[in-house]
Amino acid sequence: MAESVSYTEKLKAWNRKEVEKIGEKAPVTTPYPFIDIEKPPEYRGIPHINPEKCVGCGACVNACPPDALIMEWDKEHGVKRLTYNAARCIRCARCIEVCPTGAMEPTTRFEIATNSKEDLVEVVEHRLAYCEECGEYLDFTERQIEYVKNILPKEIFDMYALEDRMKLTQDAKMRVTVEKLRELEGVEYPAYLLAKRGDE
Amino acid sequence: MARLKSVWVYHVDAGSCNGCDIEVLDVISPYYDLERLGIKVVPNPRHADALLITGPLTRQTRIGIRKAYEAMPPKPRIVVAIGTCASSGGIFYNSYALYNTSPERGRDRLRSGGPEMVVPIDMYIPGCPPSPEEILYGIAQLLGIKEKKMHGEYWKALPPGEEGDGVSFTIPERPLSLRLWITLRDELRRVVGYYDRDAVLDDFMKLLEQAQKDENPRERLHDLVTGYFLKEKDSRVKVAMRFLEETYWSLVDEYGEWGESLRKIGKSART
Ligand code: SF4
Ligand code: SF4
Ligand code: SF4
Repeated sequence: MAESVSYTEKLKAWNRKEVEKIGEKAPVTTPYPFIDIEKPPEYRGIPHINPEKCVGCGACVNACPPDALIMEWDKEHGVKRLTYNAARCIRCARCIEVCPTGAMEPTTRFEIATNSKEDLVEVVEHRLAYCEECGEYLDFTERQIEYVKNILPKEIFDMYALEDRMKLTQDAKMRVTVEKLRELEGVEYPAYLLAKRGDE
Repeated sequence: MARLKSVWVYHVDAGSCNGCDIEVLDVISPYYDLERLGIKVVPNPRHADALLITGPLTRQTRIGIRKAYEAMPPKPRIVVAIGTCASSGGIFYNSYALYNTSPERGRDRLRSGGPEMVVPIDMYIPGCPPSPEEILYGIAQLLGIKEKKMHGEYWKALPPGEEGDGVSFTIPERPLSLRLWITLRDELRRVVGYYDRDAVLDDFMKLLEQAQKDENPRERLHDLVTGYFLKEKDSRVKVAMRFLEETYWSLVDEYGEWGESLRKIGKSART
């Protein structure tokens, strides 16, 4: 049997009636804003980007209906910035649902009123991968490449010789592929087997 | 704000969907009781110290908002934007019906839009709609009862393996491969919503970690999930847990077969 507390019990652990906190005879009116309160764990507060986990893939940007999340491209300097502004966010949690790394985290934060919209901005600046061959920045961040390396099984990497071609731009990738195919002319195995064969 | 008298507010709708208007009504209700903070809603901007605006500022309402603003006494003339729409144009920000003159059509970093196009705003209360506590917090902040808690963030995400000035990259440790985790998480979307999904998946990983210590993980996991199933009262969570168990093993089998055939091809290509 699992020792863990059941999911429903976990949710119930939260004290739902803040009026009970100030004594037996609670008034009808909430004591907020004169006390600090918490929202229930399932409350939809503003989401928050966890910069440790975010890879800058932009899935959340595609999903966000009111464009509270926007990717700012700066290819000249080799960065892209994921910007989030809570002033535009409708808390639909679409971004949390689509984020492939779990970097978009739900929070129960509700005290977000402010006199300046600068306070509501979150920016994560990602560095883009660099193609040595053409001297250009790729569309992907280095974190994205690392993440893909962790997802795909090693056999696929070997089979398609992805390791060599990952950090190339589209043009260079095509060139390298054609060269390899030429090398492999006459080999009876499928042309996509581009792996270097150690024992040949 | 000098508080020699109570603050009289006038509420004006700039094309809101009425969600925010209803929350404004809510804060006046006995439970939230905005009036105990000395706020009084008045029916005329000429009497008002503060203007509560809801809505994204449609073309038609922009004249009305401007008129209401000008009709207010010149001091203190406080404007409170209630709701995401009033803070930035919200979900409607790029609609044809809105008045938005910002240079990047609302796609700048501050996400310009909404009533700030015609009147200066002193307090933004985002939320769609903001819950009554959020509105109370905004008003309390104007009255000096609460402090501002938000502040802007700018992080530099470092590439993997790098340390130094910025945030380094981590992929959390999990008892299953990243590929399985991602696929399971995506499959689970068909069964439960985002909030339960992550909670159930976390619980499942805990059970899986326990099961992996056993010499027969398949049976052990089945027992553990059954235990979870019996304890849990929420039937959606039960279904999701069972679904996870089944999907997990079918994926493990499937990926195992693929891996096997891949290895075979690789081997035959080498010889
Ligand atoms: S979807 Fe997640 S990982 Fe991708 S950019 Fe958004 S927060 Fe980052
Ligand atoms: S919760 Fe919705 S509106 Fe807010 S950032 Fe995520 S996708 Fe965009
Ligand atoms: S912020 Fe949301 S609830 Fe409020 S008016 Fe706009 S769409 Fe409606």
